Amino acid sequence: MKFIINKFQIVNVLAKVQGLTGRRSNLAITENVLIRAVNNGIHLTATDLETGFEGFYPASVEKEGAVAVSAKKIFEILREFPSEDILIHEVENKWIEIGNEKVQYHIVGMNPDDFPETPHIMDVDFFSIEASILEKMIERSVIISAAGDEKRAHINGVFVERTHHDVNRLRFVSTDGSRLNAVNHFYASSENIPAGEGVLVPKKGLNEVAKFLDIEGEVQIGIKDSNFIVKKEKETIIIRMLEGEFPKYEDILAKGNDHLIKLDKIKFGKMLKRMSILATDNYKGAVFTFDDNKLVVTATNPDYGESKEETEIEFTGKPIEAAFNPKFFMDTLSVIDEENVIINIVDGSRPCIVEGDTDKTFIGVIMPMRI
Amino acid sequence: MILHIDMDAFFASVEHLDHPELKGKALVVGGDSGRGVVAAASYEARRYGIHSAMPMFMAKQRCPRLVIVPPRKDRYSEVSRSVMAILHRYSPIVEQVSIDEAYLDAAGCGRLFGHPRAMASAIKTDILNRVALTCSIGIAPLKFLAKIASDMHKPDGLTVITRETLSDVIASLPVEKVPGVGRHAHEQLRRMGVATLGEVRKIRPSVLVERLGKFGHRLSDLAHGRDESTVIPHSPTKSISTERTLSADTRDREQLKQHLLAQSQEVGRQLRRQGFLARTITLKLKNTDFKQMTRSVTLDHPSQSSETLYRTAESLLARQALDRAVRLIGVGASGLIADTTPRQACLFPGMGRKENGWNKVDRAVDQIAERFGRSAVHRGSLSPPDDLSMD
Repeated sequence: MKFIINKFQIVNVLAKVQGLTGRRSNLAITENVLIRAVNNGIHLTATDLETGFEGFYPASVEKEGAVAVSAKKIFEILREFPSEDILIHEVENKWIEIGNEKVQYHIVGMNPDDFPETPHIMDVDFFSIEASILEKMIERSVIISAAGDEKRAHINGVFVERTHHDVNRLRFVSTDGSRLNAVNHFYASSENIPAGEGVLVPKKGLNEVAKFLDIEGEVQIGIKDSNFIVKKEKETIIIRMLEGEFPKYEDILAKGNDHLIKLDKIKFGKMLKRMSILATDNYKGAVFTFDDNKLVVTATNPDYGESKEETEIEFTGKPIEAAFNPKFFMDTLSVIDEENVIINIVDGSRPCIVEGDTDKTFIGVIMPMRI
Repeated sequence: MILHIDMDAFFASVEHLDHPELKGKALVVGGDSGRGVVAAASYEARRYGIHSAMPMFMAKQRCPRLVIVPPRKDRYSEVSRSVMAILHRYSPIVEQVSIDEAYLDAAGCGRLFGHPRAMASAIKTDILNRVALTCSIGIAPLKFLAKIASDMHKPDGLTVITRETLSDVIASLPVEKVPGVGRHAHEQLRRMGVATLGEVRKIRPSVLVERLGKFGHRLSDLAHGRDESTVIPHSPTKSISTERTLSADTRDREQLKQHLLAQSQEVGRQLRRQGFLARTITLKLKNTDFKQMTRSVTLDHPSQSSETLYRTAESLLARQALDRAVRLIGVGASGLIADTTPRQACLFPGMGRKENGWNKVDRAVDQIAERFGRSAVHRGSLSPPDDLSMD
C-alpha cells in the first residue's frame, strides 16, 4: 500500500474519530483506524463496536492495500506534519512509513484482516434532513445524558419516532428518568419521511454523529434492522440500536391551561445559576414558590447555608411550592433559542413543562423533587 | 470545669442489677463460643486479672467459676439513656462519647448546683437512686484530665484536679495513661526517656512531631497544660456500621454473604431509624493474619434500603479475592444525609430504580422488629434449615 494524501483532507476526520477509537472496547484493534487504499483514494474506517464510521477521501494511490494503525498516533503525526502532501507507505508487512526524506516515521500497525467488519446494509429507505437541524436535534436530546454505569436502554438511548398522524414529524425523545426533552422536526409531506416503529439510538453514537455534521447541506437518515444510519456524500455512520422499551411519555407532554408563566430566559437563567451555587451532590434541590406575582427561590445546604432570591412574574391563584434541581432548568434553557420561555407548573408533585415562547420544536419536562 | 462521668463496669453492673442472685460473683459479659471475647468484666472478675477484650477461654482459665452472661445491648442502651437523661438535667452541654461515658461542662452551672464537686456528688446520688448503679466522676479544668481523673479512684470514685494541683498531676502522670498514647507512641517515648507526661516538656516539640507525627503537637500541648478541646454537646452521626468476628475463619463466600445479609439489614434498620440516607457503602474484612482491608463504593442515589446495602456490599465482596480465610466481616454506611432532604422524583414511576418496593418491606420488617425484637423476622435465607419444619 502506498499513497500520497493532502494533510487537510484527512487531519480533520482523524480528529473526529478519536471519540470512537479512544473508547475502550473488548477488541484492542478498535483503537486503530483501518485505511484501505483503492484506485482514486482511501477508505477510512473506525468503530467502537457500537458506532462505526466510514469515509472516503481522494488521494493519489500508487499501490492499493490496507493497514490498521493507531488512530491516536497517526492523527498526531499528520497534524504536526510540516508539509501538505504526505506519503504513507507500507514498506513491509504491517510496518508503515510516513513522511519524506526530512521527517520520517516508521510505525507498526495491526493486521487489517482483524478489523471488525462494517455491516453492509441493503435496501435502506433513507430520508433527508438538513445537517444543521439534525445537529440541533441531537444537541437538544443528548443534553440529558446517561451516567457511565447506566444499564437502562431508555436512558442510554434517544427514542426516535416518525409519525404521519396529524403532522409528518420526526421526533427525538430523551430522558434520564427525572426529566425529558422532546425535539420535533416537521415535514411538509408524508413522502419526505417514511413512518415506522420508534427506535432507541444510543446517545453516545449520536454524539459522534453530531461531530460530522456540517453547517450546511443535507444528510440522509436510514433505519434498517438494528441499524441507525446517517449518510453524507462521502461519509457514513452506522449505529447499532438498543433493544428495549421506551416508556409511554405523551401524557406528560400535555399542558394544563393554568399557570403558563412567561419568564425572561437570560434573567431566569442567571437566577438559577445564583441559586445553584450552594448546591452539592447531596443537596441539589432548590424550593420554588410561585405566589402572587412573584417567584421566590430558596436553596438550603446544611454544609454551607442558604440562599434566597425573589423575582416578579405574572402569577395569580393558589400559591405553588415545588422543589427542583436548578441545573435541570439551566440545561433546558441552554437549548432554547428564544428571549422568553413559558413554564407550565401544576403543583409540587407533577412534571413542569418548559418551552420557548413561540418555537414548537422543543418541549422540556422536569420532574420536581419530593420535599 | 469539665466533668467526665464513667459508669463502673457498666454491662456487668447492669447484669448484677437484673440478676441479684449473681451479686458478688465474678461475672463477665460476652460470647461464650470458642472465640468470644470479654465485653465487660465485673470488679469481682477483675480481681482475677480478667479485663475487657480478653479472649473468653483465657478468662475462664483465670477463673473457672466465672459467670458468663450473653450481652443484651438493648437493655444497656435503655439504662444508658436514663443515665444520659439525668446528666442533661445538670447541664445542657453533655457529650456522650460511648454507651457508658460522657463529658459534661459545668461552666455557668455554679449558681444552680454549687461547686463542681457538689454537683458531681449530686449526680452520683441521682444515678444511684434512679438506676441503682455507681459511676466514677473526674473533674478537671481540661477535658483530657477529666477523663484521667475519673479513672483514678474507680469504682464509685470522685476525683478533682484543680488549677493548683494540675501541674503536679501532669508531672507524675504515666504517659501511657494519656488518651492517644498507644503502644507505638509509648515505645517511642520510652526510648526518649519519657515516662511521665511532665517529662514530655523536656523534649522539643519538633522532635516529638518527628517521632509521633501530628500527635506530637497535641502531646506537647497537653504536657504544658493546654487542651483546647471542649465538650461538644451533640456530635452528629458520621457513619453507621456493624461488624462481626466469625466463629471460625472461612473462605466460603456463601457463608460470608449470609453475614452481609444480616449486617445490611441491621445497618439499614439503623439508617431508617435515625433518618439517614447513605451515599457510601463500605465492606470491611479482616483475614486470618489480622490484616484489615476496606472497600467502598459511592452510590449514585443515596439509600437507606437494606437490599441496596446488601447488593452493594455483596458486589464489593465478589470483587475481592479471598486468598486468606476471613476472620471478621462488616458493613458500613457513611456520607450520611437526612432522609428529609428533597429527593428527585421519577417521571415514569414504573421504570424507576427497583428500590421503591423494598421500602415497604423494610418498613414492615422494622415495625415487626421494633415490636417483637430483632430476631422475630429475618430473611428466609438466614433461617437455619431445621426452622423450616412444618409441624
